[in-house]
Amino acid sequence: MPLYLPIAELSMNIFLVIGMGAVVGFLSGMFGVGGGFLMTPLLIFMGIPPAVAVATESNEITAASVSGALAHWRRQGVDVKMGMVLIVGGAVGSFFGAQVFTYLRSLGQVDLMISLAYVVFLGSVGGLMFWESVRAIYRQHKGIKPKLKPREDRHKAWIHALPFKMRFRKSRLYVSALLPLAIGMFVGVLAAIMGVGGGFVMVPAMIYLLGMPTNVVVGTSLFQIIFVTALTTIFHSVNTQTVDIFLAVLLLVGAVVGAQVGARFGLRLKGEQLRALLALMVLLVCVKMGVDLIVEPTELFSVGEAGSH
Amino acid sequence: MQNLGMRNLGRLVVVFWALLMAPSAIALVTDLSNKRIEIRYSFNGADLILFGAVGSSAVDPVNDEFDVVIVVRGPEANTVIRQKAKVGPIWINSESLTFPSAPGYYAVAASRPLSQIASDAVFASYGIGFDHLPILARTPRGLAAPDSDFRSALFRLQASHGLFRQEQDTVVHIGEGLFKTDIRLPANVPVGDFLVETFIFKDGTIKARNRIMLAVDKEGFERAAYDFAHGYPFWYGLVAVLVALTAGWLAGVLGKK
Repeated sequence: MPLYLPIAELSMNIFLVIGMGAVVGFLSGMFGVGGGFLMTPLLIFMGIPPAVAVATESNEITAASVSGALAHWRRQGVDVKMGMVLIVGGAVGSFFGAQVFTYLRSLGQVDLMISLAYVVFLGSVGGLMFWESVRAIYRQHKGIKPKLKPREDRHKAWIHALPFKMRFRKSRLYVSALLPLAIGMFVGVLAAIMGVGGGFVMVPAMIYLLGMPTNVVVGTSLFQIIFVTALTTIFHSVNTQTVDIFLAVLLLVGAVVGAQVGARFGLRLKGEQLRALLALMVLLVCVKMGVDLIVEPTELFSVGEAGSH
Repeated sequence: MQNLGMRNLGRLVVVFWALLMAPSAIALVTDLSNKRIEIRYSFNGADLILFGAVGSSAVDPVNDEFDVVIVVRGPEANTVIRQKAKVGPIWINSESLTFPSAPGYYAVAASRPLSQIASDAVFASYGIGFDHLPILARTPRGLAAPDSDFRSALFRLQASHGLFRQEQDTVVHIGEGLFKTDIRLPANVPVGDFLVETFIFKDGTIKARNRIMLAVDKEGFERAAYDFAHGYPFWYGLVAVLVALTAGWLAGVLGKK
């Protein structure tokens, strides 16, 4: 059954769209990730213009993060103060990211920027995650237990030296506000140019750089993602009018169902195994994007509308 | 009384004679099965039928052979063609050429292959066909004839998207000067006013031509959503966010059960 998408200006099969949402939802439910890094490339691959894919996916991530954040909220798993600082940073980052996006779109280089961002960030994060999980699986196999550092020593000296220290009670931290501001800003830029929530960068940064306790990491990250992707949606809508609500809602319908099934499926696997699988998937998307950049395209020319005259 | 009648008859004869003699007086009428295409949620392209009839003495529709060429041209839009080049290890868009008024849709249907209907020079003088459609590119020196690589890329790419068509649709002679053809609009057709031109060829020259209009427009909900997104982008973004928040909250509530 074809459905005409008024903003993307093309017609897609409604069941295909819902199905895509369901598959990505399944994977994101299983691994506990947002899935933006899978959905945006998939949408582009299906022929949705990259600008529409990125902006629309921001819109869908807002929705997907709300239900997750609510669940963490009920379990007291959100550090609101930390979240606020991350959001302020995210708002600034998202604003500049959207400006860069609009500018590069007018130059016809937005596809390149999206691909490069995916290759660089998915490559590094996926690589690190894969290395870490393989090491964990290996250690478990050998029965080696890594020594836990005491909480006080988790911050590096340069982090202690930063000014504007702030107390975050929920995270039991006394740390410079500049650090979460910078992390938030970085994630905001990624959200605006890649059509992702940015959890894959934010969660490791919160654990390893900020030293936040793991029970508030995911909830706080989702809390930030809601607001930053909402702002990103508005920025893209104002700058390029590329947010397709219909596409977002359809994807969401599939994603909600898929995530429920995926979450149940994920319970059967061990944490390290899940992380290794996730890392492989991340690397796969990265390699696909990278290969498309390197291999000589069969058609060297492409057509695009310059938009405003 | 009788005098008056004679004079009227005389006039009639003169008019009839003029009609008979003047080649421009070939009566050509065309019509479309649908002059207004509405893009709604279920839109997946449209097929139209163009009907036409030739009736006059310059072309005797029953005995004379004639050819029909129908050109459909969509709304003009600023179109950019980009060429990838290898920079270091990767392929990136490097050169680009802007066609400020390329048609968003261009289809040529004919009763025979164009080369059998008339000479290239004839088609060139009327700007009919992929090779002859007058199209200019924006250059530093102003509007100019485009580089041939970029020009052919424009036609190749638009043809691959189903937006440019040539030598694909045939005009069928039904008989008695009546002819028809199908006009295929793909799902990604641009909205706006379309011009449908019909040319009657005989012995390699144009004997008659006429033009009718066709409108393609988004309707109903699709029109409202598009206008809202482009007219009030901030409020559209806000609504999109509110929809997402509500949907996410609903999903959370339903998922808990």
